[in-house]
Amino acid sequence: MKKLFLLPLLVFALGKSSKAQNANWRDQVTNQKSLHFSVGTQGVGAEFAYGVLPKMSLRLGANIIPVSADNVFSVSGFNANSKMSANFSNIHLLADFIPFKSAPGFRLVGGAGYFINAKGNIAVQPKDNYTYGDIVLNNEEVGNLNMNVNWRGFAPYAGIGLLKPFSNRTFNVNLDLGTYFLKQPDANITASGILSGNTSQSAQLQQNLKGYRFLPVVQLNFNFRIQ
Amino acid sequence: MIMENIKKLLFVLLLLSGACKKPTEDLKIVVDTNVIKYTALIHVTDASNPEAVLKSGTLSVSGDNADDIYEISGNKQFNINNGVITIGPGPAAVPLAGKPETYSVQVKVPGYNTVSKSISFAADQKQQVVDVSLSKAGTVNSAPVIQKPLPVYDPVSLNFTGTCSSSPDLVIRPSMYVFFRETGSGTVYQYLGYMESGNMTATALKKGETYDFQVTYDGQNYGTTQQINNESESLTINMGSAICNNF
Repeated sequence: MKKLFLLPLLVFALGKSSKAQNANWRDQVTNQKSLHFSVGTQGVGAEFAYGVLPKMSLRLGANIIPVSADNVFSVSGFNANSKMSANFSNIHLLADFIPFKSAPGFRLVGGAGYFINAKGNIAVQPKDNYTYGDIVLNNEEVGNLNMNVNWRGFAPYAGIGLLKPFSNRTFNVNLDLGTYFLKQPDANITASGILSGNTSQSAQLQQNLKGYRFLPVVQLNFNFRIQ
Repeated sequence: MIMENIKKLLFVLLLLSGACKKPTEDLKIVVDTNVIKYTALIHVTDASNPEAVLKSGTLSVSGDNADDIYEISGNKQFNINNGVITIGPGPAAVPLAGKPETYSVQVKVPGYNTVSKSISFAADQKQQVVDVSLSKAGTVNSAPVIQKPLPVYDPVSLNFTGTCSSSPDLVIRPSMYVFFRETGSGTVYQYLGYMESGNMTATALKKGETYDFQVTYDGQNYGTTQQINNESESLTINMGSAICNNF
């Protein structure tokens, strides 16, 4: 946590030290163009950035992330494997605003994204050789259980940017910290076999997930200036 | 001042991302017991006194495919308890349309003559009740079993939820034959009906009365008591180790 707080301090100091070299920093933003390639909590992405005003630039881009993890869900006394997966992809339009003359490397960032794909899934599959008394059940008889969540739709974004949006040279790096505010998710449970009764818990899952609307963004951008 | 604001913003971002409820909070794993989908309730009574409770006995199965038959808890031990046992073919031996499978069962209760009965499982009949009347050893009594008729009232929906004390996150939806009696009556349990995945509708229950409900499997009785006040009642029944240990 301490390290995280030190990072903006460092950035702020960098902004101050380079002030003299960037006396005309306002002029450098307008009409500047660059291509960004990003990696972070949103996965990988690409953006085109353009300086529209002395203090403001716009970014149009897209991100995609497929992730999965095993055995994130367990139930006392129930012998099963579980797998969590999430798929998010969006297109977004963001505005970077530089509020302080003394810190050209600090930006306020706002905008919105449309999540073409924003799905989460937890799949629970009982382990092999499941028995009911002396009866050995096959996979179809046991069945499976899937918890599905979907946030597809528009989402506003707010955050900050650290390090300058455009470089005086060909290449620079900057950082985004922020969050998307996703729409309230649609959640349901599908199940089969002896687990088919779990579909009755869809309403409870929806209730549990209704607060899951923030998609935090910590993103490192690699920027290439377009002449 | 600017640094303070940045710190505050970062703190809020971190807080928001971790402020949510656990996704699986209050969720249980619901498991159905309808592994054996074709069942026969064998109800054994004393021919001379149908009100007498036959405490214990055993059942044996013979026939070409006798190995396919299980007690309803999935076990191969066929113990009769309180005159009740439920059997059926395992999921690998479900009856095909037009080809019923017939088995012979032998009912043995100490102090009574052994009786053999033929039971068929057909694709178009998932549940059946087979009454077996036993005469006391050394006597002959071929009188048919006459069950006391059930009263008829407004239908009541009963929703049974099975619990497991060893696995609090498990919920069982039992599919079993249910018996009942008025609480405190001291009478024998009467057959009420079959509950499918925990649900059944009964017309023999009077509003305002309190009843004991009982299911029997693996040679054990499991019961609960409920006063009937509404058109739909929810009941909880502890399923015991024979079912709970399967999961």
